[in-house]
Amino acid sequence: MDRYQFLVALAGLIFTLGLLGVVIRRNLLVVMMCLEIMLNAVVLSFVTTAVRTQSIPGVAMTFFIYVAASCEVALAMAIMVILVRRRHSLDVGTFQDLKG
Amino acid sequence: MSGIFIAFFSALAVVFAIMVITMRQPMRAALSLVAHMVCLAALYACLGAHVVAVFQVLIYVGAVMVFMVYTIMLLDDRDMSYQWVFSRLALPAVVVAGLVAAALWVLIGRLPVTAPAIATAAGDSFTFSSFSVAFMQHYWFHFELATVLLLIGIIAAWAAVKEGSNG
Amino acid sequence: MNHLMLIPLLPLVGFLINGLIGSRLPRWLVSVIACGLPAAAFALTIGAFTLLRTTGTPIAETLFTWVGAADIKVDVALYFDQVSAVMCLVVTGVGTLIHIYSAGYMSHDKSFARYFAYLNLFLFFMLTLVLGKNLIMLFAGWEGVGLASYLLIGFWFEDREKTNAGLKAFVVNRVGDTGFVLAAFLIFYFTKTLDFQGINGYFAATQPSLLIMNTIGILLLFGACGKSAQIPLHVWLPDAMAGPTPVSALIHAATMVTAGVYLLSRMSGVFLHAPLAMDVVAWGGALTAFVGATMGITQYNIKKVLAYSTMSQIGYMFMACGLGAFDAGMFHLYTHALFKACLFLGAGAIIHALHGEEDMRKMGGLWRKIPLTFGTFLFASLALSGVPPFAGFFSKDEILWNAWSAPNGSPAIWAIGWIAAGMTAFYMTRAIIMTFFGESNVPEKVEAGIHEAPFSMASVLVILAALSLVGGFIGTRFTGFLSPVLGHPVAEGAAAGGMEHILMGASVAIAACGILLGCFLYLGKRTLVEKIRDAVGPIYRLVSNGYYFDAFYYKVVVRCVDWVSESVLAKVTETTFNFVAIELPSGGINMVSRLFSSLQTGNVQAYVLYVLLGLALILWWGVAHA
Repeated sequence: MDRYQFLVALAGLIFTLGLLGVVIRRNLLVVMMCLEIMLNAVVLSFVTTAVRTQSIPGVAMTFFIYVAASCEVALAMAIMVILVRRRHSLDVGTFQDLKG
Repeated sequence: MSGIFIAFFSALAVVFAIMVITMRQPMRAALSLVAHMVCLAALYACLGAHVVAVFQVLIYVGAVMVFMVYTIMLLDDRDMSYQWVFSRLALPAVVVAGLVAAALWVLIGRLPVTAPAIATAAGDSFTFSSFSVAFMQHYWFHFELATVLLLIGIIAAWAAVKEGSNG
Repeated sequence: MNHLMLIPLLPLVGFLINGLIGSRLPRWLVSVIACGLPAAAFALTIGAFTLLRTTGTPIAETLFTWVGAADIKVDVALYFDQVSAVMCLVVTGVGTLIHIYSAGYMSHDKSFARYFAYLNLFLFFMLTLVLGKNLIMLFAGWEGVGLASYLLIGFWFEDREKTNAGLKAFVVNRVGDTGFVLAAFLIFYFTKTLDFQGINGYFAATQPSLLIMNTIGILLLFGACGKSAQIPLHVWLPDAMAGPTPVSALIHAATMVTAGVYLLSRMSGVFLHAPLAMDVVAWGGALTAFVGATMGITQYNIKKVLAYSTMSQIGYMFMACGLGAFDAGMFHLYTHALFKACLFLGAGAIIHALHGEEDMRKMGGLWRKIPLTFGTFLFASLALSGVPPFAGFFSKDEILWNAWSAPNGSPAIWAIGWIAAGMTAFYMTRAIIMTFFGESNVPEKVEAGIHEAPFSMASVLVILAALSLVGGFIGTRFTGFLSPVLGHPVAEGAAAGGMEHILMGASVAIAACGILLGCFLYLGKRTLVEKIRDAVGPIYRLVSNGYYFDAFYYKVVVRCVDWVSESVLAKVTETTFNFVAIELPSGGINMVSRLFSSLQTGNVQAYVLYVLLGLALILWWGVAHA
């Protein structure tokens, strides 16, 4: 296993950890953080591949991921403030409006 | 030499990621996340992608995470979710996540090992100036689109907060 | 001259106009549309007929392909040969006259436009039936006229009895159609075509086996029996008289009920190779002719007398077909259409004059009040009775001669037809005397209102009566015209010329006997009639109740079907079916959907877990298969 393989495997591991965090944590803020971890894992795999093949697009893509992540955080924080104001809770388990 | 750094920062990144998902206090989780991101930035630097490393620190740690920390400070810390950290799905989720990680490990281990000949030339194309010129030559239009997306994000956040304050 | 398609389409246009917007049009416009379009179709038919006579080659017209599959191809195609020409002339000619008559007869009805819409629809389907080039087209028309018949019998749908009569006609016809369809399947199985020329050509060259041919023939006969009111499927015809009288004249006397004869003639290629089926057709026809005549004797309702008479006369036509004399059958069809339409329309005029009275016991002495109706009715009755030189004499005589001389004919079958002819003369005399002569039994109130038919009705009566008088003189030319299509197997006709004259004398004699006997029994006091009736009481009751066919069908067939559907189908089959096809799958789906809906907890994290699970499955599938 060379270093690039190792880094891609690391990206997979971090992604899994982020996903796990999304599932198991109750605090909505921490869930958001776990989403950030997942995004970072993706960025890591992009950069690894780009460096390995010495190609510009992979790195360029990371910038767009940053843009998307910034937007996402801005919106998510706004929504979270509203949620706390209305429901007085950040517990994901209490939001069950999707129940069929 | 860089191999040791990579191994070190990788281990650190995993540790901090685990801390993010286990810390009870959101503030501690946030700080762990900052540390995790700095570790990743260090990894990028080791790989020679200095541009990405710099922006990782500037944008993520400098902007996004600071924003998140402000939000944490705004909110009440006597929330129910502080007492019970993990949801009821924790155990099956850990099992499944273990399965996913194992599968990834196996699959990546099977990838063919290619000669790292290309990698020896690393360093040149990802310096700040050469990358910036290449980026702006090829992706200026996409970049402008991304700014529009940011604008929309700001408007949406503003509208959401305004709507929430009315209700 | 490629306007064959217009012949059926013109009445369809009339149907669409009158059916869709007729109720908003003034009555005169409705009648002009309804009568004008069939008249135009008649003119086109005459044009096509003239062309056919000069060139001698049938006109075929393919409009489009209806069904185009690997080994079956059905075109919507029209075919105008000699047989179609005769039918088409009768349908459009008599049809137009009856439309004109209806304009007067129905003038007081509130559903004037609906009536004409149905009548035009009937003409469209009837013309499709006779002009169709293949069995499918014929069948489409066949079902269509059944529909139109149903609609028109139940035209006054406020009356429960009348709608029931329509329903009965429809249901009995379906029974016959089963035979038709089965025959069509068998034919297609062997010939691989549904085109008439193809079918007849195939069977002329090769016959599968005698058994198959006879089966096809008898199934076709069964179908024809349903439409043409032959024993045992005749029960709907008397009830069908519930419809307006012009409808009875058009559908249940002149055209639709003769479709069976047309079918037999069209499929003559099958029957010529099915000797047993031919015998069945001949004997069935003879039986119907006889039984229908006996039932006609006992009826008091003037329309039912004519209905049984129609059934009996169509029996003659079937008999002719069964004897191989398809041309004689077609000839009788043509003359019968003229004089029976005249009779029905005359009866309609009487009923119109008496404001709806149909019972002959409440008539009498009418000849002074409505002389024109009387005159035309008399002419047509003489034609029906087979008195020379009226039209019926020629055609009936030809059938009886064939009964004697045809290869499968015999003196016995001739005798049955002969006696039935005598009875025909008798019951028509009886009907005329009861209606027009003797003392008036009309109630005072109605008597004052008796009036001669209006011009539109009277003119049609006169035309039809005149045709009944002269229509038979084209006899030899008629058979000559048909000979390219309906080859006549009887060759020894010339040798037995003497015999033919003797038989002709015999049939005239028995007609005269029937008439004289009728006069003897019914002119005057009629005490002898009652004595005879009492003397043969059981037989009289049997005949006047229609040989208990209706009672038999109701008590046995309907009961059996009821029993099967109630105790077997409803209890056993339906519950099983419900369980297997409805409850089991629905229960299973219910269970599975409950299972899946329990996954929908509403907790977002659960959904993410499912994503994680899916990811794990996909990855491990990759591990296992990579």
